[in-house]
Amino acid sequence: MESTYKPKASDFAPVKSNVHGEQISRPSLSYWQDAWIRLKKNTRALISLYIVIGLALFTLVGPYLWQVDPALQDLNQISQSPAWPKTSILVGPYQRFTPVVLDDFPAEPEEYLENIPPPENIRTSEPPTTQHVRLVWDPVGGAGGYNIYRNQRVPEGINDLGLPLGSTLGGNEVSYEDRLNLESRNYYYSIVPTDGFDESYEYQTLEVTPKLAITFNEAIDRGLIGPGEDRELNSEIELEFHPFGTDYLGRDMLARLMQGARVSLFIGICAPFLFVFFGIVYGGFAGYIGGKLDQFLMRFADFVVALPFLLFMILFKIAFGIGPGESGVIPMLIALVILGWPGTARLVRGQVLQIREQGFIEAARLLGGKNHYLIIRHIIPNTMGVILVTLTFAVPAAIFTEAFLSFIGMGVAPPTPSWGSMCNEGVKTMLSHPHELIFPAVFISITVLAFNLLGDGLTEALDSRMRSRE
Amino acid sequence: MSETILEVQNLTVEFATYGGNVKAVRGVDFHVQQGETLAIVGESGCGKSVTVQSIMGIIPMPPGKITAGSAKLKGKEILGLSAREANKFRGVEIGMIFQDPMTSLNPTMTIGDQIAETLMVHRNVSKAEGRRKAISLLEKTHIPEAEKRAAQYPFEFSGGMLQRAMIAQSLACNPTILIADEPTTALDVTIQAQILELMQELQRTENMSIILITHDLAVVAKMADRVAVMYAGQVIETGTVNDIFYRSAHPYTLGLKVAMPSNQSDRNKRLTPIEGSPPDLFSPPKGCGYFARCPNAMKLCEDHQPPEQIIAKESNHTSRCWLQHPDAPSVDGLHQPEAAHAG
Amino acid sequence: MLAYTAKRLLAGLVTVWFIATATFIAMHQVPGDPLMNDKAVSAEIRANLEKKYGLDKPVVEQYFIFMGNMLQGDFGISFTQQNRKVNDIIRDHFPVSATLGILAIVFATLGGVLWGALTALYRNRLPDIVIMFLVILGISVPSFVFAALGQLFLVNLNSFVGSSIVPVAGWGTIMHMIMPSLVLGLGTMALLTRLMRSSMLEVVNEDYIKTARAKGLSPTRIFFRHQLRNAILPVITVLGPQIAAITTGGFVVELVFAIPGLGRYFVQAVQQLDYTVIMGTTVFYGAFLVFMVIIVDILYGFIDPRVRLK
Repeated sequence: MESTYKPKASDFAPVKSNVHGEQISRPSLSYWQDAWIRLKKNTRALISLYIVIGLALFTLVGPYLWQVDPALQDLNQISQSPAWPKTSILVGPYQRFTPVVLDDFPAEPEEYLENIPPPENIRTSEPPTTQHVRLVWDPVGGAGGYNIYRNQRVPEGINDLGLPLGSTLGGNEVSYEDRLNLESRNYYYSIVPTDGFDESYEYQTLEVTPKLAITFNEAIDRGLIGPGEDRELNSEIELEFHPFGTDYLGRDMLARLMQGARVSLFIGICAPFLFVFFGIVYGGFAGYIGGKLDQFLMRFADFVVALPFLLFMILFKIAFGIGPGESGVIPMLIALVILGWPGTARLVRGQVLQIREQGFIEAARLLGGKNHYLIIRHIIPNTMGVILVTLTFAVPAAIFTEAFLSFIGMGVAPPTPSWGSMCNEGVKTMLSHPHELIFPAVFISITVLAFNLLGDGLTEALDSRMRSRE
Repeated sequence: MSETILEVQNLTVEFATYGGNVKAVRGVDFHVQQGETLAIVGESGCGKSVTVQSIMGIIPMPPGKITAGSAKLKGKEILGLSAREANKFRGVEIGMIFQDPMTSLNPTMTIGDQIAETLMVHRNVSKAEGRRKAISLLEKTHIPEAEKRAAQYPFEFSGGMLQRAMIAQSLACNPTILIADEPTTALDVTIQAQILELMQELQRTENMSIILITHDLAVVAKMADRVAVMYAGQVIETGTVNDIFYRSAHPYTLGLKVAMPSNQSDRNKRLTPIEGSPPDLFSPPKGCGYFARCPNAMKLCEDHQPPEQIIAKESNHTSRCWLQHPDAPSVDGLHQPEAAHAG
Repeated sequence: MLAYTAKRLLAGLVTVWFIATATFIAMHQVPGDPLMNDKAVSAEIRANLEKKYGLDKPVVEQYFIFMGNMLQGDFGISFTQQNRKVNDIIRDHFPVSATLGILAIVFATLGGVLWGALTALYRNRLPDIVIMFLVILGISVPSFVFAALGQLFLVNLNSFVGSSIVPVAGWGTIMHMIMPSLVLGLGTMALLTRLMRSSMLEVVNEDYIKTARAKGLSPTRIFFRHQLRNAILPVITVLGPQIAAITTGGFVVELVFAIPGLGRYFVQAVQQLDYTVIMGTTVFYGAFLVFMVIIVDILYGFIDPRVRLK
């Protein structure tokens, strides 16, 4: 730090016209410009903003790009996991199954058998399809009938045979037809002989993988085969594509998510806008009027705040009632507004009272500013930041509320999908088909997350205390 | 001259911020002797508080970083110690009080417990003993009804009373040095005088040294034996209080003096402020820090750091100003023993 | 403090009155006669109910009958489960919900304070980043998803271990309580963690922490004696409202885990339009929450001397 500089005589010439202090180096920025610059620096908030825009596009533009009717049931692909397009074989209409009943059945042995041996040579009599799986097997001497079980994994013992499908009526009836919710996957059929009442301890298992099948008529109905088109029986045909899979009624998840987004986002965005607007009017009025009326109005707001929110959401839901064919979106919106406004009203009133006392309002008044001018030019702009932040945080709260109510069955009425009601349906099949729960849950979470992070970003960007930093 | 208690050399402190490194303290030297009061003077942001807080090791690290220098307490280095090592002198050898007593005490602990805590940690006394001593410390700082007061919380105290309690707390272990970081700035003027008198009284009875940080020259005049004037992270002038007030050897000290109202000043004359504000320490100026505001700036001041010039050896009066160079022109009002012949 | 408590309690009573009135008005908005909707009600019971609730009388008179019954603590008889008093339903099922709720709030508070303090200590380092990521998840994922995932986890755990050491659903033992209360407390815990973190970071910069360091206290002592205690204060202030959130969140958890709590009963009553149960439970829950908030506020006074002594 120490200088070793040896000065020359000319160095001691005085510097005239000295700069007095620092120049103001930063250009002057308006409140909103400054906030926008700071929001842009916040990567998380910016990504969230893009996500929000993406969600809006998803629900508004999506249905035009993905023109699938969200109510249409694809019964060939029920609870289908997300996958590439599936093909199916064309089959004829269902033919009645004639059971195989043997005439020359070995006579029952004299003595009672403790353990009847399992049937041999289990096979399918026709190619297995999701239309039907037809099993036949060799008879077992001494059997009084057979129980048929179906499992989705290899049985680990007599107690792990899976779903009991049915039983045959005698030892000579050696076939069974399974038509129960067949999917295109591996099944393990186990046959256990009985003595007519009790099961043997022995069983035999066959692995069957039915092929996806669709009948001609259905294929024509669904538009998979064109009117003039000629197709052979047992030929392959491409089924409808469900990129996000289908739900328990075979409805396309992607289309439902898009439609559900409309309900969830509509409530999530409209309700906060409405109650924030009402809150501004109410709180601004109370704060501006002041005095006894203000006291009374705010006391009323306090009471409304004290109402247990979700209980009263449910109560109002019942009170408004939903007629047949109505979705129940509007009653929910109204209930949210009725219960949601006091928070904003309190906030705005507090802000108005605070700003009203500040010097610049007094200054503007002394300069001859009229009341309406003060409100429009000074008071409202100065509350906008806080209001915007409230609004951003109210959106995820409203989405949560909708999801919660729909989940407990108090939300939008079926068949209108919302993310919450989709979760409600999905949770029932959670163990076997998790995608029906995961997709709507992920959409809710991402939306709520995006709005929360955006709210955080806005709070930081609009906080005037932060302006002086950096 | 009595022995030197604390010797600080070339202390350099930087803060890493999002905007870059702030060089808050740039090579500060000073020393404190037994029983004397050293005042460190300067405007806000000149690095006074950072200097003493670095010595105490209580600047937040990171972002703060002591990049160079040493501080020796009774000959022992105290910079860069571990928390365990540093706690052997913090609160024991050096006590410290802060600017705003209202926020400097834990709001959820009674005053008595906070004082007792220091004793319990350093003197290994029991809680009851600590509380008893706390009461006598409060009495020492002239807090009325000390016993009742010890059981109260900070919010029940007035600002002046809190600062007394702070002083009581810092004196708990009979420190050799009391660092007072703007102890009266947040207080009423009448209370200020009381606190300063209390400090003087305790300095006499306890034979302590005091490092007093302030921007108030009136406080300096009342309290200080010696003064260090700081500007833009550097000590630009040191000397006895008389040197600083009557033989100012730096234009900044001169500016401060002119800006201060006094009994003698002409009522009709306006006070002369120092125009502008201190330089941005993100990128400290290449030359003299005061160049941009100095009314007597010269060509070389812009690009060359002025070296420390000794003005008077016997009183340790030094100044960092090119005007003290033998070739510099003389300036009206400035004490320039070496440069007087030039110009 | 005493005057403050009395004032709060009085205001609480007025609030409960408001809740009861709002409930009454809301239920009288139900289109048609509430009794008409339920065909299961026999003529005899119907006559009894009409007499009891004065349904043949004008609305104002009905209101006074309703409020009178409420004042006596009589919530009436269930529509769907005849002969069962609403009071009995509350008495039988509320303790279950309360146990669940208390466990959840304890878990959320302990977790929130612990994780919040930890993230503040490791600010911007790996533990902080990981925990805060989980916190953001916790705030953004609905409670029913947690409930479903929790149950899924138990199913997998049990099939992995080979026996059902932790029951997947139902109520009764400690083992039944763990997962539901964990799931119920998660959202609140995430919120409290966030609050605790920012509170800790604020306290670190307080002057009194600097004083404590200048006093030569060890970092551990500063952390526990000075930082933690002050940082917890704002966390406690939000506990009141959070109890409400946990109570209503309990509805979902009780549904998913098949817990016989009042929340599940309420949802059932709503689905079956059991009006007396709905009204009774709403007013009961409302009163419960109002007084919980008051209790938390008063407890807060004991921790923060600034509130207690003013």
